[in-house]
Amino acid sequence: MAVVTPAPRPRFGRALLRLFAVQGSYNYERMLGLGVGVAEEPLLRGLPADGATSPYRAAVARGAHFFNAHPYLAGLAVGAAARAEHDGAPAELIERLRAALCGPLGSIGDRLIWAGWLPLLSGLTLAAISLGAGWTAVVVFLVVYNIGHVGLRWWALRQGWTHGVRVASALHHPLLQRGTALAGPAMACAVGLALPLTAHYLASSFGAWPRAILATAAVLGFLAIRWLPGRVTGLRLALGLAAIALVVGWTWL
Amino acid sequence: MSLETFLALLGWGTLVGVDLVSVPQMMIARPLVAGTVAGAILGDVDAGLKIGVVFELLQYDILPVGAVRYPEYGPATVAAVATAHAATGALGLGLGTVVGLVTGLVGGIAMHLLRRINSRIVHAAAATLEAGDPKALVRLHAGGLLRDGVRAALVTALGLGLAWAVPPHINGVLSPRAVTLLAVAAVASALAAGAGGTIRLVGRGPNLAWFAAGLGGGVVIVAGWLW
Repeated sequence: MAVVTPAPRPRFGRALLRLFAVQGSYNYERMLGLGVGVAEEPLLRGLPADGATSPYRAAVARGAHFFNAHPYLAGLAVGAAARAEHDGAPAELIERLRAALCGPLGSIGDRLIWAGWLPLLSGLTLAAISLGAGWTAVVVFLVVYNIGHVGLRWWALRQGWTHGVRVASALHHPLLQRGTALAGPAMACAVGLALPLTAHYLASSFGAWPRAILATAAVLGFLAIRWLPGRVTGLRLALGLAAIALVVGWTWL
Repeated sequence: MSLETFLALLGWGTLVGVDLVSVPQMMIARPLVAGTVAGAILGDVDAGLKIGVVFELLQYDILPVGAVRYPEYGPATVAAVATAHAATGALGLGLGTVVGLVTGLVGGIAMHLLRRINSRIVHAAAATLEAGDPKALVRLHAGGLLRDGVRAALVTALGLGLAWAVPPHINGVLSPRAVTLLAVAAVASALAAGAGGTIRLVGRGPNLAWFAAGLGGGVVIVAGWLW
């Protein structure tokens, strides 16, 4: 009677840990590719690995090809591609799957995190600091943000592994759909609330005439950023205003 | 600044610099966090919070999508807080912001250069990667992480060098008006960048009404304070 050896359990913990460094070798040629390959490798260890052209080595090589997406959702592609490799999907299909995931995972992640969850919590933290919460607001920001951050990375990896080549269905999960729908308005409201509070907090040490100059410079700076996007950035505006302040301050003794 | 404090700030700035892109992206690179901890290291949490708020607003101008180039405000905030702590009185906010902006600019350039170096190394290792050797893959990836750590340390060291060298030359040189104007310029540009970046995120759709509602709420609270 043949001895059946059970397939090794996928090493999700190790893959998740490596996903935290998915952008560690970020470059313009493969973008996140190497990081995705490194994160996927523990999940590929059950594949036959004998010889220089083994399925394991071929899968590792594929895993490190070009990939670009939001780093927190890259686990979805890692899990899906690894599962597809174990299921014996053709190499071309796995390559197409990875390529097809780049756009949606980048778009959803950017809207959900960079334009939603992060500025939402940042805005609330700015408001809390301005209201006198101090450093405790920063600690709460870090804890709450990372509950969402780590949870999303773990969810993405498990969803990818669960669905394999049919991972597109995970993109319609209520977590992503409702999350992206709610994050935008919540972020807009929170940062809107934070701006006047922060202005009051930062201007509290100024007298009457500096406050008048501050209001004028802030409005003109805002209009410059809006009307000349790309040419006037926050950095250029800040350096320019600092230079003007020094020249005026030097001559106006 | 004592050697212990310098080393603590250098270590913190390096962690912050690595967190932004490489690992673990838990947002200690956010100026609010970077500045507050730098302030705590210096025993000046208030300065850390204030500079952190200024650079957090400047950070709103940045949307890190794709391979876009942007200034790196994490180690910059650490350097800015160190400068603000070293400068006397009201000079701290303005001078700290200027030193932070220069450090952030250099940090952004350094990130771009690192990505180009990584690209060359990855391109040269294409055959090894195509062979599917997992050890070679991990080694290449770890090399990228290490290079980013060195980059972050160098940027932080530059910023801390400025924080050590600049304030003694400026303290007492600028008139009180110039000091105030410099601080006003820092706050005004931060508010403008914060508002501009937020409006760009919000767009002209339904979120604009939510932004207006929040803004109105904030104005009402401030008006209540002033009343």
